[in-house]
Amino acid sequence: MKKLIVRLLGGEKRQMLRISVFAIAVSLIVASLIFIVIGKNPISAYGNLLQGSGLMPKRSYAGKQNMFTDFMSFLDALTPMIFASLAVAVALKGGMFNIGVSGMMLAGGFFASVSVGMSELAAPLAKPIVIIIGITAGALVGALIGWLKYRFNINEVVSSIMLNYILMYIFTFFINSYYIDPISRQSTPVSEMSRLSLKAVRTSGLKLDIPLAFPLAILTAVYIRFFMERTTAGFEIKAVGLSRRAAGYAGINISRSIIKTMVISGALAGLAGVTYFCGYMGSIQPGVVPGMGFNAIAVALLGNNDPIGCIFASFLITILSKGAIYLSSKQGVDIEIADLITAVILIFAACGEFIRRFVSRIEAEDILEGGEQKA
Amino acid sequence: MIDTIIIDGLAFTLPMFIMAIGGIFSEKSGITNLALEGLQGFGAFCGALIAVLITRSSGSHGSIPFYASFLAAVLGGMLYAMVHVILCIRFRANQVISGVVINILAMALTAFLTKRINEFAFNARSDKFVLETSVRFTVPGLSEIPVLGAVFTRVYPFEVLIILVAAVTWYVMYRTTYGLHLRACGDNPHAADAAGINVDRVRTIAVVLSGGLSAIGGMSYAYSISACFSPDIYLGYGYLAIAALIFGNWSIMPTLGACLLFGFARSAGSAIIQRLGMPSTFNDLVRILPYVLTLVLLIFFSKDNKSPRALGEIYDKGKR
Repeated sequence: MKKLIVRLLGGEKRQMLRISVFAIAVSLIVASLIFIVIGKNPISAYGNLLQGSGLMPKRSYAGKQNMFTDFMSFLDALTPMIFASLAVAVALKGGMFNIGVSGMMLAGGFFASVSVGMSELAAPLAKPIVIIIGITAGALVGALIGWLKYRFNINEVVSSIMLNYILMYIFTFFINSYYIDPISRQSTPVSEMSRLSLKAVRTSGLKLDIPLAFPLAILTAVYIRFFMERTTAGFEIKAVGLSRRAAGYAGINISRSIIKTMVISGALAGLAGVTYFCGYMGSIQPGVVPGMGFNAIAVALLGNNDPIGCIFASFLITILSKGAIYLSSKQGVDIEIADLITAVILIFAACGEFIRRFVSRIEAEDILEGGEQKA
Repeated sequence: MIDTIIIDGLAFTLPMFIMAIGGIFSEKSGITNLALEGLQGFGAFCGALIAVLITRSSGSHGSIPFYASFLAAVLGGMLYAMVHVILCIRFRANQVISGVVINILAMALTAFLTKRINEFAFNARSDKFVLETSVRFTVPGLSEIPVLGAVFTRVYPFEVLIILVAAVTWYVMYRTTYGLHLRACGDNPHAADAAGINVDRVRTIAVVLSGGLSAIGGMSYAYSISACFSPDIYLGYGYLAIAALIFGNWSIMPTLGACLLFGFARSAGSAIIQRLGMPSTFNDLVRILPYVLTLVLLIFFSKDNKSPRALGEIYDKGKR
């Protein structure tokens, strides 16, 4: 047993990746038990999750739909998740725990929706402006949190949660007062010209959703990785994240680095906001803090705070959230099961550091024992 | 109008106060506890479930399900706090992350279980446990005093309960050996260890206590705000309690002051809206008052705050 654990999880090479995979595997086993307890076949449940995400063919499709349309709609949901998890990951690298992604998303989504989203601006102009507004709004909220942290020593977790609720209630007030759609009880949908996802496009006999920002999400992830690994600013952010005191002795301007971290994180969260509210959803539901901002924490932890890891982790968590819709319609399982599995994954991912220590301790014991036998 | 502000303010303040005391216990022992939000929700879930079960099975009403629900909430909160204990003390996870994870798990788990239990046990498709409205009492005589009498008017029984429990916790924290050990573990666990205190055990008890205390707060909110348990109970009041205890500098009495401020800001805001006859959408603007107040106050008080010195550090015996 011990040997097996060491062989699977020991050694330095890609250890964190293997521990992440291990955490996922254990969580999926736990989730299978949940399915069994509520009397569902776990294999067919997982199958439904994949089918709902367009990764496995369903038995039958409605007109103008097939696996590819499901997959495109899956990518549409995946895009904001990648941005949101990158926001958490960058902040964590810089030693900040950004739980305010939800509020930042709302800020980006709200301002873009009520300005460009309500205008008659032509698409080539409207779409880039939506993205710019999203980035700016998110970055400003991030800057505020960073500033409160270094100037007044306010714990970023507390301030960002306060901001989540403050922003949510303010936007709810404005949506309910000025931008409410009386039928859907959501904000008035954004104009088609400004929407970042093309919905129900008819091509070659199919009705496709096309997430225009998806390539941007991948490029951003690659760029963030380059930024963190290969630039001075990225190095400074990481140094401050590892040890504020050491970074200070090395001559790094800590306050500037903290603000920089939060501005970048906020900009990414703002991007998540516009791709979610002005893309995937098309409108804002008043009175709700989007859960994606919290799931993004799970994704970032699972992706080991690595931008590329975030892409894969987003992929996994989106399968759960997107596939759960199909799963619940197919088997009558409550849709909350997706959140439950995500939470279980989170718990095991949070223990990653412990698993790493545990494995290295067994390794050390093994080496010791081996030495004694030789002697 | 002042009467309503005081009555509603106290009903909001005291549950937050008991949650904040829970937070103080955990943080004074050195364990950062952002899990208050999840602990209060999970506690309220357990309590509401028991209350519903008792009313359904025995048909008893009034005080039996009421007090049973608080007992169940405390036990449930303590049990759920063990997750934080296991993650932070046994598995040495990052305490901030563990707290947030526990909150996310609580939301997912209670929402899921509420639906499941409603469907299987009660044959109802509902995402809430409906509670009876709590009785409220008015102290005759004392309530006649102008202005201050409002304190004794239309009081929820849980408010009395909370004041009693709070007094006990104050005594435990500042007048018993355990309280001394607890504070020592939060400031210098190595010294405490050298003095023969079992740091992990002291911290475990502290976190479990914080679970029970938060659960009292959550159950009170379930009775006072909505008279039911539903996922709407996660409104961030647990985080407000944390802000209150930071503002109160990790001491019990100043924290009470902070909670009173939040509570009265909230009830005064609603009263003013009602008085001015503004549309109900303005309620959303009033709801931000406690949150804004928290931020503003933290700006003034965070700088010279002294958190327990070893707060958030994983205790490693071998480390110097």
